[in-house]
Amino acid sequence: MVTDTTVITLQNLSKTYQVPEREGGFGAAVRSFFRRRYRQVQAVQQVSFSLCSGEIVGFLGPNGAGKTTTLKMLSGLLHPTSGTAKVLSYTPWERKADFLRLITLVMGQRNRLAWDIPAIDSFLLNQAIYRISDEDYKRTLKELDDLLELSPIMRKPVRNLSLGERMKCELAAGLLHRPQVLFLDEPTIGLDITAQARIREFLLEYNRRTGATILLTSHYMADVTSLCDRIIIIHHGQLRYDGSLTSLSRRIAPYKLIGVALGEVMDCDLRCYGDLVSTENGDGKQYIQVHAEQVNEITARILQDLPVRDLTIEDPPIEDVIERAFNE
Amino acid sequence: MLKIYLRLWQVNWSEQWQYRANLLMYLLYWLVSPIVYLIVWITIANSQGSVNGLTANDFVTYYLVLLIVDQLTSDITIHILAYKIQDGTLSGDLLKPIHPILTNTLVNNLAFKALTLMALIPIWILLSLFFRPDFSAVSWSSLLLAVPAVIFGFLISFLLNATITCLAFWTTRVYSISEFYYALVVLFSGQFVRLELMPPLIQQLSQYLPFQLFLYFPIKLILGELPPQLIMRSFIMDVIWLIVAFLLFNWVWREGVKRFSAVGA
Repeated sequence: MVTDTTVITLQNLSKTYQVPEREGGFGAAVRSFFRRRYRQVQAVQQVSFSLCSGEIVGFLGPNGAGKTTTLKMLSGLLHPTSGTAKVLSYTPWERKADFLRLITLVMGQRNRLAWDIPAIDSFLLNQAIYRISDEDYKRTLKELDDLLELSPIMRKPVRNLSLGERMKCELAAGLLHRPQVLFLDEPTIGLDITAQARIREFLLEYNRRTGATILLTSHYMADVTSLCDRIIIIHHGQLRYDGSLTSLSRRIAPYKLIGVALGEVMDCDLRCYGDLVSTENGDGKQYIQVHAEQVNEITARILQDLPVRDLTIEDPPIEDVIERAFNE
Repeated sequence: MLKIYLRLWQVNWSEQWQYRANLLMYLLYWLVSPIVYLIVWITIANSQGSVNGLTANDFVTYYLVLLIVDQLTSDITIHILAYKIQDGTLSGDLLKPIHPILTNTLVNNLAFKALTLMALIPIWILLSLFFRPDFSAVSWSSLLLAVPAVIFGFLISFLLNATITCLAFWTTRVYSISEFYYALVVLFSGQFVRLELMPPLIQQLSQYLPFQLFLYFPIKLILGELPPQLIMRSFIMDVIWLIVAFLLFNWVWREGVKRFSAVGA
């Protein structure tokens, strides 16, 4: 349900932090009391991009790349050092109430739920704060309950919930007001595979039902491949890539992996066909990496030369592609 | 808006209720110093007949009224807010389309007050039975006038405390600044002793400072010890300080949030 309407625009957005800095040890601690040294950290530098309504975009980069800082600026928590941004035609850091009612920022840590009381009480508070009518509240809570299975957990004090349960409640608290723009910072961090998959399904479903725009960061490639058609890569605060995942792998890693299982156990060297790569599949196959254009020719040669029991041609793992993109 | 405050009350009340044992201990700790001052002054007054014309009963009534007024006008904003600025959990509040301090922190204060007052009242009755105060000077009209005085006192105290807590946006830790502020409160509010027993300089200064509006003014008002023109003057000071405190808070908050770097969370 992606439309042409632009909902998020960043233009040369930059954020520089002043970070106090000192050596370790007592002497340095005393010296820093009298004279503090500051280091300028350019967390985000001249970043520009835009998102259309209904898009789900993966915002990727290694730790400290500037992802969270960007999300915080877009949700109004941080004032940028320079540059502009518009979200739903509001300037986020003016923190207008009308703007805040239309967005959400969910982080993989607690921030929306009161710690000592059941999540349902925080939900009720949010209903009042976001001015949600009783019918809308009931309907949305029912939907969220269906998708996230909240019923068994939302009546327990939040501090007694497991990490996964808490994350579900955080998501629900962040979505009760049906925001049109979702900023998600590591929404699946610390969750087991099943819970991760559930959250992903949920996000897709939410996007499908409401047409919301989603910008999310994650270190789990499964999140990215299953949710995002488009990714934006940022490294050292600078934009590195903006486009589809497939064209990124075509550009960064124009190679394929050929996996070969041989019929008889024989000591055969595959190295003459391509670079041998170690994989930990445990499927008894050996993998060689070949350039995408040579796949046909080399496969044919292998089939001709060797007693092949099984042969597969695979794309390089997405983790590799992203890692290469980071280091490029 | 009323619904927001109502729901905030429910949340804060049940949160505070979870820590009622802790609250009770806090209350007992907080009761110690006024009771010690009270006993010291009764002893002095009894041994000399009176102190500057003040009898033992004048001290008993003063400190017993102080116990209630202090509970009503003091506030715990620093304990609610400072760590949130320090560790970045304020982010969660800033994402919500309401002013976090003028709603949540305010209601949290009120919930705390309501709960401590529930515990204080039985203790207060016991103390009254023990010290046998003569409250004949207290009239209904003075009690009625004390209501706005207490509300003004609390709001000014709340806004000034919130302003000081917001300095955490710059200094990260504010507990020492707050301690200093509290020392001023003790000195100029009449918490330590009736201000008329203080040196003239402190009495003069306290007339222009906001601190006596938290305690001394409402207590003296209840005890019927103030002439009409002084009551009028103090209410005018109430209005002036409320405006000043609000403007001060608003400015520090606005500039502080700009600086807020949302660390961690």
